[in-house]
Amino acid sequence: MSTKTILYVEDNELNRKIVRDLLRRTSYRLIEAVDGEAGIARALEQRPDLILMDLQLPKVSGIDAVRTLRSSPATADTPIIAITSFALSGDQQKAKDAGASAYLAKPYSPFDLLGLIRKLVPETN
Amino acid sequence: MDQARERVDASRKIEQAVGVQMNVIRNALVLLDEATLVGILHDEERFTDTLARLEEAASPVERETIEKIRAAERQLIKTVEEIRSLVRADKADEAMALHLNESQPRYREIATLITRVVRSEEAGMVQLRQNVEASNRRAVLLMSGFAAATIFLALLLGFVISWSFIIPVHEAGRFLGQVARGNFGGTIDVPNRDEFGALAARMNAMSRELNQLYEHERTLNTELERASKAKSDFLASMSHELRTPLNAILGFNELILGEIYGEVTDELRVPLTDIQNSGKHLLRLINNVLDLSKIEAGRMELALGDYSVQDTVVSVLAGLRPLAAQKGLDLVSAVPDDIPLACGDAGRITQCLMNLVGNALKFTQQGRIEVAVDLRGDVLHYRVTDTGTGIAEDRLETVFAEFRQADATIAGQFGGTGLGLSITKKFVEMHGGRLWVESELGKGSTFSFEIPLRVDRAETA
Repeated sequence: MSTKTILYVEDNELNRKIVRDLLRRTSYRLIEAVDGEAGIARALEQRPDLILMDLQLPKVSGIDAVRTLRSSPATADTPIIAITSFALSGDQQKAKDAGASAYLAKPYSPFDLLGLIRKLVPETN
Repeated sequence: MDQARERVDASRKIEQAVGVQMNVIRNALVLLDEATLVGILHDEERFTDTLARLEEAASPVERETIEKIRAAERQLIKTVEEIRSLVRADKADEAMALHLNESQPRYREIATLITRVVRSEEAGMVQLRQNVEASNRRAVLLMSGFAAATIFLALLLGFVISWSFIIPVHEAGRFLGQVARGNFGGTIDVPNRDEFGALAARMNAMSRELNQLYEHERTLNTELERASKAKSDFLASMSHELRTPLNAILGFNELILGEIYGEVTDELRVPLTDIQNSGKHLLRLINNVLDLSKIEAGRMELALGDYSVQDTVVSVLAGLRPLAAQKGLDLVSAVPDDIPLACGDAGRITQCLMNLVGNALKFTQQGRIEVAVDLRGDVLHYRVTDTGTGIAEDRLETVFAEFRQADATIAGQFGGTGLGLSITKKFVEMHGGRLWVESELGKGSTFSFEIPLRVDRAETA
């Protein structure tokens, strides 16, 4: 099996770097987008195996992006992990309603995220 | 009326007297009795008196008749004198002839005249009676009219007076009702120039005053709300800004500890763990500030869902176990396996337990901390017991107040803002539950809260 591709949509550079470093020693391939609009474009173009979607994004919000991706046949079944903000209760429900497969509240432990990714899309060797 | 009747009586009397006199003369002549004739002459004086009485207040026509009667009377007296002389001279036949020819017709004339006076007097009396009756009727009519007018006036006056009371009182009542409902802007319109008018003017003044105070208070409230919202917004944005770099610190530190960047020596692992624990503590504090600002701004809502009580306690203990281990404290739990799936905001309940266990860790130097849960009916009972410093009885009440700790010196000794307990209390109350503490100085404390096993949306405040 080929290498699994993960799309991470997040506007904060340091958060992207953490995930980049986290996945460095794994076989996952990481692609990135900095806002909702770019995230949707990359998802439709690259067809990743899993999408990590931060919900607080510029241009198009994470919730709207999840909704858009779910309505497109190319990404309708792609697992999506919504990264919700701890501060905003109700985000989890909104993410679920929009069609997210799982959610992880910020601040999250990078290794917890890795565990969740591995559960949804097993790594191939 | 009495006078009229008296006059009628007098004229009748004369009428009678004349008739009697005529008969007396005839008898006297038959008997040739001079003395009787002398009596008649004496009687004449009385007769004249009576006539004079009648003449008083007589009508001109009557007066004329009376004058004729008087003339006839004088003539008669003369005749009677002559008859008397003849009687005295024993000339009876001549006397009788004189009587028949002179005095008798004279008497008849007088009688006729008197009858006329009597008629006139009687007619006058009838007229008078009619007049009196007419004026009686007029009087009755006038009296009735006056009585009716008086009653009408009295009723009208009563009506006007009572309405002049009722209308202003009614107005005042309506107006005070408005004021009671919080409508201070209105005025009362009572045009009376009496005490009611004065009262209405006072009420209007009061209303204006109240309205001014109300407007002033509203302005102050608006300003206060704006200031409070500005504060909440500032706290929310500040804590978000603080959290972003802290997330990065914690994330990278965990990657280092996970040896993503290479091997970590045991010597290095100790300070890195300290960074991790302190960072998490700082994160909790920032989250508390953020939560409190949201609660105060009324923007805090529970995200209700099913959750496992066992998993919740396990995750809380897992998060704080490193800190407990560092202080050499036992951290244990007692949760029965048979507690069914609960419904509530799992994130907030986790936060409550984190705050309570975090506090217990902070104030306990040795011994153990136990988290116990049991289900009593439909109520979940959470309990966090420590063997720490405890809280003096007189300070138990203040521990749940914002920005307060049981002892101001504690802040210096142990750190913390005292926000954790007040936020925990609020979250528990939002679940429709309550939080309380039992403590003994030097022996330890037990913080408990109970919430419904399954929280309905309707129960959350």
